[in-house]
Amino acid sequence: MKGHIVRNPKLAWREVDGEMVIISPEDSQVHELNETASLIWKHAEGKSLEELAERISAEYEVSLEAARADIGELVAALEQKQLVFVATGVKG
Amino acid sequence: MNLGATVELDCPATQPNSCAPLQISIGNVPLSLYIREEALLAPALRRYREFEQSSENGFPIILNQQEARTQESGEFSYLLDDAKLILGSRGAEFHDVRHEYALDSLLRILLTMVLLPQRGFLLHGATVVRDGRAYIFFGRSGAGKSTVASLSPEGSVLTDEISLVRYSNGCWQAHGTPFWGEFRSAGINRLFPIAGLYLLKQAKEDRVESLSVKQALRALLPCVLFFASEKRAHETLLRTLMGLIEEIPCHRLHFRRNAEFWKVIAA
Repeated sequence: MKGHIVRNPKLAWREVDGEMVIISPEDSQVHELNETASLIWKHAEGKSLEELAERISAEYEVSLEAARADIGELVAALEQKQLVFVATGVKG
Repeated sequence: MNLGATVELDCPATQPNSCAPLQISIGNVPLSLYIREEALLAPALRRYREFEQSSENGFPIILNQQEARTQESGEFSYLLDDAKLILGSRGAEFHDVRHEYALDSLLRILLTMVLLPQRGFLLHGATVVRDGRAYIFFGRSGAGKSTVASLSPEGSVLTDEISLVRYSNGCWQAHGTPFWGEFRSAGINRLFPIAGLYLLKQAKEDRVESLSVKQALRALLPCVLFFASEKRAHETLLRTLMGLIEEIPCHRLHFRRNAEFWKVIAA
């Protein structure tokens, strides 16, 4: 897993009961993240996908392989909604 | 933009070349409307008559005067059809306002911006006062706001369409507004502490369902009048809404469009 996760700096967000509510100011669209996606949002900034997989693996007591797969899927979904970007070759 | 406490609002650098302003106050925001055209002034006098209030420091709003500049460059501007709002820290300009509806709409937009740093906002909702406390019934168009208002005793309705919420004197208060449905001239220029927020849902039974903080935020966000597109403005709005719903209970009101709903609210 390569690349570092960067939150879209244009977004306004707030944690509510452990979950993220994110607003895109340009179109006022509201995004709500579930618990796992919120965890990624909260801890992802500047981290590599691998570091994040290790954290999720430890926190949820799942195998590193399973964490990698889940994160890959979730980050792709967040990236598709332009909530995060995956920067490659910047850090690391 | 320094539109903090109303006392901090500056006077314009030069008074506009105009007649005496129409001075009003909405949500404790004093405004001085400089309107030259009789065709706009007459309906404005009717629409805002309950909100007339003399104030030397009203935030100046200059209508349709290209030559009277309150600021060098606007810090916020908004285009609504042909009409345009330019808002600076020392005053606002409304341009190309052709009818009273445009004036009213620009005034609402202006208020959302002025109220934002003061922990205030406008909400699509009817506000009804009962036993000295305000109940806000909110929802999108067709949700039943005007029905709730029409089922409430005369004199108890602060607005049937646009509620004004603001934190002041240590609590969340609802203010009357002149923004009523079907452009009726009404409203009561008073404020009351908010007892509760009720998202309207038409149903076959009257029932109140408590909302969690997240559910309340999700319910409120689409009903807030908001026109800014800056990240910081949205962060401020989120902070304000969270402050409100952490203090004021928020519910979903299932109601049958008759006055019986008060029984489940009082329960």
